[in-house]
Amino acid sequence: MVDTRATTSRRAFLSLVGISAGAGLLGGCGDKAAEGGATQKLDALAGVLPEQGALPAGIPQPDVISTRPVADGYTRFPSSLIDAVAQQPGAGGKPVTAMTPAWGPAPPSGSNNGYLTAINAKLGTPVEFSVQDGNTYAEKLGAILGARDVPDLLCVPGWEVAKLARLSDAVKALFEDLTPFLAGAAVKAYPMLATLPTGAWRNACWNGRLMAVPNPTDNPFPFTLFYRKDLLGGPAPTSIDELYATGKAVTDERKGVWAFDDIFAMVQMFHKAPGTKDGWRLRADGTPEFKYETQEFRQAAEFMAKLYAEGLVHPDVVASRGADAKQLLQSGKILFKQDGMGLWQPMQAEQQNVTPGFEVAPVPLFAAGGGAPLAWGDDEPISYTFVKKGLGKERVEEILRIVNWCSAPFGTNEYNLREFGAEGKQHTRGPDGPVKTDLGFKEIQNQYFFISGRSPVVQPTPQTPKYVPDMLAYANASVTNLEKDPWDGLKFEMPAKYKAGLVPSDDQINDILRGRRPLADLDTVVTAWRANGGDEAREMLGKALADSGR
Amino acid sequence: MTRVRSTRRRAPWRARLRRDWPLLVMVLPGALLLLVFHYVPTLGNVVAFQDYNPYLGDSALQALVNSPFIGLDNFRALFSTPAFWDALWNTLSITAFQLVFFFPLPIVLALLLDSVMSRRVRAFVQTIVYLPHFFSWVLVVTFFVQMLGGAGLLSQELRQAGIEPPEIMTNPDTFLLLVTAEVVWKDVGWGTIVFLAALSTIDPHLYEAAAADGAGRWRRLWHITLPGLRPVIVLLLILRLGDALSVGFEQFLLQREAVGRQAAEVLDTFVYYHAITTGDYGFGAAAGLFKAGVGLLLILLANKFAHLIGERGVYARS
Repeated sequence: MVDTRATTSRRAFLSLVGISAGAGLLGGCGDKAAEGGATQKLDALAGVLPEQGALPAGIPQPDVISTRPVADGYTRFPSSLIDAVAQQPGAGGKPVTAMTPAWGPAPPSGSNNGYLTAINAKLGTPVEFSVQDGNTYAEKLGAILGARDVPDLLCVPGWEVAKLARLSDAVKALFEDLTPFLAGAAVKAYPMLATLPTGAWRNACWNGRLMAVPNPTDNPFPFTLFYRKDLLGGPAPTSIDELYATGKAVTDERKGVWAFDDIFAMVQMFHKAPGTKDGWRLRADGTPEFKYETQEFRQAAEFMAKLYAEGLVHPDVVASRGADAKQLLQSGKILFKQDGMGLWQPMQAEQQNVTPGFEVAPVPLFAAGGGAPLAWGDDEPISYTFVKKGLGKERVEEILRIVNWCSAPFGTNEYNLREFGAEGKQHTRGPDGPVKTDLGFKEIQNQYFFISGRSPVVQPTPQTPKYVPDMLAYANASVTNLEKDPWDGLKFEMPAKYKAGLVPSDDQINDILRGRRPLADLDTVVTAWRANGGDEAREMLGKALADSGR
Repeated sequence: MTRVRSTRRRAPWRARLRRDWPLLVMVLPGALLLLVFHYVPTLGNVVAFQDYNPYLGDSALQALVNSPFIGLDNFRALFSTPAFWDALWNTLSITAFQLVFFFPLPIVLALLLDSVMSRRVRAFVQTIVYLPHFFSWVLVVTFFVQMLGGAGLLSQELRQAGIEPPEIMTNPDTFLLLVTAEVVWKDVGWGTIVFLAALSTIDPHLYEAAAADGAGRWRRLWHITLPGLRPVIVLLLILRLGDALSVGFEQFLLQREAVGRQAAEVLDTFVYYHAITTGDYGFGAAAGLFKAGVGLLLILLANKFAHLIGERGVYARS
């Protein structure tokens, strides 16, 4: 559909374009989303979603039952695994190209990687991965989308979605509409995909159509504050003052030890600044308000600026974007680091072999002002897998069978191979389950994980027996304080002007945190932010609430 | 008079073709490269005048055709963005500073190297000073952080001695010095190559004759070496002026958070943050086109100036 807007409205704001289930509307109302922003009512998508299917028979019951959106957990590995997919998915066609993110050293590619060879043999049609640095993945995505040069399977991590301009246009122009393949009963051809939760599928819709396979999350938390339990000596801090005092006490410049990474997101959370939709909440009068405008954010900025000013943040982190804060935590040069939950188990498993007694653990949430803490979080998928448009029906079906194979749940042989590689090579099988070898750590970088989804569980690993109970204890305690999302069930594409306007604001807030501007400048930042799309975003979010009758 | 004209008259193109075809064949790959990777992409600059949406139509070309033209709106938006002027100012300051404090250094180093008699020592030193050129900026910045940063070698030594270390890597006021130091460390050796080549073309007999006439080392340098280098120096200076608005990208991207936008934003990082990451390609192309326009103007002016003082410049007067 050709954009019919007046040519002069380049930066003009278009009011919200709601997509309802109304008959003819489903097709392509997202066009104007590009610059104006758009809202999708996810409840209205029922017609395009796959039917929910049961897990394959023979998968044992979980040991820990969690509060959703935290996944259930297993503390013991099942003694026997089942075969979930009988038929070889690939028809032996030419290789399927895919792009996925990885953090840390890139794994060997092609035939140099025994893990890929083993799985590709099972698939029948090999998948060829282009593994890209996860830290700069959004930039790579922007480039290949803009150039319209996408691989057969493309992984788009959930946290990058908001950064991609005109994504709904891109999705329509470049990716296959999966609705005819997966909606309703059609999903029965891909029984592993049918096990994914409906909520995850809802988020995989763009322009009212099912456009991607979601990779459901096993926990809703974007950030956790991790600390080196073995090095801290005492208990984890339980208040903001204790956090500061501990940071002050452990920083020893002469020994080259500093307390913190940049932990601003966690500091905001401790001060209960809003985090929904990247920082929105409702005022008492029902109008939306952004985090910059709140007292909580101001206090958080003041606290973080204090950490910087007193030299409690590691100088490498302060000096360069290239600093490897994970490495600093592993080597004990910092004691606190904010990161996703994904940091925990792999680091523990790998580092306990390097440093005897190594233990990394999360700091339980607390509120700076006392009372109940706040946990940022949402139920959105970890990532989305898109299929390139125009490959032909048979090829798309073959690709979906491959994705289906990769989506087999915990307790199946397929899952085991995908997660741990081949026995005797990438893992050895002990009495408590598979243990990854050094080769396994090197070769397995979530390649197939990032082109599929799975019914999420928190799985046990023999090297780290405490992980499942500890992680689920933290997650289930935190989930009770999960921030309420006033816009739950609505999916937004924010106006381009608002997205662009966040860049200068973030720069200036960065200046404030690092002491290059006084805290009082926050008022100027807010004024500029409002003029540069902030108020337009507010209007859009407010209208979305009104339109959905809330 | 008539004879001169007759020798100047051109042979028919067929005859010239027969005579010159090996040269034309030799130039062909280079010309193709230029065409495919420089001239064709230049056409993409048309998005500077469009509200460009890469997802219109069925292909990238259709997107280009279907995106609506909006005249100079992108340029208006660009010039009304204060951050753009900040970035332009930073870029020009860095260029000016480096023109004075970086540009002459490779010449000096080349002269020094040229005066080393032992071939083996010279080759050894050359290899070492070339080496940093092949390091990526990430490596160079990391190296500086590890040496001069707050947790680096220097700071730790100073702390052991009971001295509070200075802020070198995170001080916006001295950022200009820092980036220039990094550039010097990385590229000064590489920059000597052209000058060394030029030095080798100076006739050694000139030196012998001058020495026989009693010219000392400084007189020889002043009256033989530098005049011999002058055309190359002028050429490189003009080319550098054409690049006045490009001072590097990664170096500034990596250190932007450390010193803040006010100090570290240059035109290339401005385009990156305001156009590439936000997908506003028309706006970015406008900034790029502005940059190219200024560069072209500077080259033409500098070349004109070179002609006025009797140099060949980038191209000779026809």
